Amino acid sequence: MTSAPAFRRFALAFGAGFALIYAWARAKGFALLTVYPSLGIILPGMHRSRDVADPVLDFLAPEVYWYGWTATATLGALVIGSIAALFPARWSRWFWPGWVWVAPVLAMMACVYLTIPWFRQ
Amino acid sequence: MATALLILHGLVAVALLGAITHQTLAAWTPSNVHPHSFFGRFRAVQPAGYANAIVGLYVGAALLGAIVYLYFKVDIQPYLERDRHWHVLGLFDLKEDFAAIGLGLLPAYWISWRRPFADERGRTAAALTTILGFIVWWSFLVGHVVNNIVGFGS
Repeated sequence: MTSAPAFRRFALAFGAGFALIYAWARAKGFALLTVYPSLGIILPGMHRSRDVADPVLDFLAPEVYWYGWTATATLGALVIGSIAALFPARWSRWFWPGWVWVAPVLAMMACVYLTIPWFRQ
Repeated sequence: MATALLILHGLVAVALLGAITHQTLAAWTPSNVHPHSFFGRFRAVQPAGYANAIVGLYVGAALLGAIVYLYFKVDIQPYLERDRHWHVLGLFDLKEDFAAIGLGLLPAYWISWRRPFADERGRTAAALTTILGFIVWWSFLVGHVVNNIVGFGS
């Protein structure tokens, strides 16, 4: 890859970083926030209803992590993209542009792996 | 309200599906396909011209989906769990994950079509378009399966 303008470097690093961080956040349960749609509340961090209430009551306050995982990935990718944009343009020749599509493919494969328990029930 | 949003989500998804399919085929199919055949006409579009529309439609579909998702978690998922539709819930989990990953790819996708580098020969743009195309088709099909779960497979 020849030297690239700052926004291009940001976009490529953001895309690769977002995918990998999303898969990591999904695997490690690192959500920036937890949404309880039935209660209309949002809590910072990851919370599980079953940790504080009987699991059979889980349906009363289902928690949603997807927004939190997406927020984690967005924040992390913004940092990675900003660093890439601030680097001198000539350094971008060391970044293979194919990472921007290899990373999401790897992340999607990781998500498939993490979803396997649903298919074993 | 939820039904209206779900229908709107579906309509935006149909437009997105058409646009991304056109662009993916135009990006990969050789231009020497017979120009007067149906397939030749289908792929004979300027793929770069679709980039803005696809980004707008993807963001719109994702935002509507993110709103409808709240109704799904409260009103639909408990019934799917009660009826032990575990496979469907797994497929839907993947839809959420893939859709989020696709959202993160949009800046790279957009820049790779709007300002392509000569040395890349459009490979990055074509690869990103293919991934987004897969995500959109997956999301569309799984969304329909979940929406029609009562009659699905019966």
